[in-house]
Amino acid sequence: MDPSRTFETELVALLPRLRRFAHGLCRDATEADDLTQMCVERALRSRNQWQPGTRLDSWAYRILRNLWIDTARSRSRKRKFEAPPEEAEFVGQDPREQIETSLEMKRAIGAMQRLPDEQREIVALILIEGFGYREVSEMLDLPIGTVSSRLVRGRTALLQMLGGGNHD
Amino acid sequence: MIDEANFFPWLDGELSDDVAAEVARQVAADPELQRRADEHRALTAGLRNAFSPVADAPLPARLTDLVESHAAEKVVSLAEARERREARTAPLWKQMAAMAATLALGIVLGSQFAGNPTSPIQTEAGRLVAGAGLESALYTRLASAPHEDGLRIGMTFRDRSGAICRTFEDKSASGLACRDRGDWRIVSVFQASEGQGTDYRMAAGANSRLLEFVDEHMVGEPFSAAEERGAQKRDWR
Repeated sequence: MDPSRTFETELVALLPRLRRFAHGLCRDATEADDLTQMCVERALRSRNQWQPGTRLDSWAYRILRNLWIDTARSRSRKRKFEAPPEEAEFVGQDPREQIETSLEMKRAIGAMQRLPDEQREIVALILIEGFGYREVSEMLDLPIGTVSSRLVRGRTALLQMLGGGNHD
Repeated sequence: MIDEANFFPWLDGELSDDVAAEVARQVAADPELQRRADEHRALTAGLRNAFSPVADAPLPARLTDLVESHAAEKVVSLAEARERREARTAPLWKQMAAMAATLALGIVLGSQFAGNPTSPIQTEAGRLVAGAGLESALYTRLASAPHEDGLRIGMTFRDRSGAICRTFEDKSASGLACRDRGDWRIVSVFQASEGQGTDYRMAAGANSRLLEFVDEHMVGEPFSAAEERGAQKRDWR
């Protein structure tokens, strides 16, 4: 197979997960899909920086996370003029492509939004995306102890907000 | 009593089997720990559940189209739209490159690579280097000067190693060549897709990828016309 086609095929296969990660980080579906789109554009343009044989998923997640950090400042500026996350509407650009946001998802997004960014990214990567501590430590260039302590604080705060048994 | 530092790693499957077995034993023996473990397991399951519709939903066309169109070198993206907007106030070299995309006409590159002494790209000691008309154009032509064969030089600049690099373009391809041991080493060539040589979108697609390369390689500003003439006199050193 043409290696460049493999890259594209694998990237498309990763999109549902990348998109879910973006939804874990962002306050609404539109912002999440914008972030995912930026990530795909960056990945396609930077494909030469990806080393075949290494994990494409970690590489792409890292791109998405860095883009999210890069846009954090303008995002928080913008938010001062917008409704709080609990009241955010989940409207995609094309209604047919809109994620049907269940009550559970709205509550989960609302709670995630109340976590500090540095806890939210780790909760999203480990609890939602299922990465291991070490994988996340390498992906984010953080000591594993930092990953683990942020995860404890993040999930403890989430438990207080969401409770432990209300989701099933 | 349980080692607190092990509780969550145990819950997340991060411990070795024997340590995990010991923690599991301690948790099973302690109703309070058992309750905590259950709560946190339910929290994790609830979060995964809450976000699972995103991963299961059909992908928005704008995402899949992006990859597909990139594969066909027809990228229509936010970044390029932004680039076009910025082009109006962009530095001269960006404007020049944008113009180059629309003015490209001329000779055929790349179709007859190795073995043919008249091919514009030759192999030389394991490197791809400019041959035939391309080499002479890189040596003699000033940037943006039009030529009847359609091959034009877009811009000249120095890369991180201090070598002089020049972009070149004709209707079928665009690329970047840098001075290397007395040759023009071909750093990149972007060929327009087959049968699409005169399609402007193709030219622009190839060109935006060339610009990425230029961005990565260029140190300082592109040469002015005077700097270019000076460099030419010094044999592009």
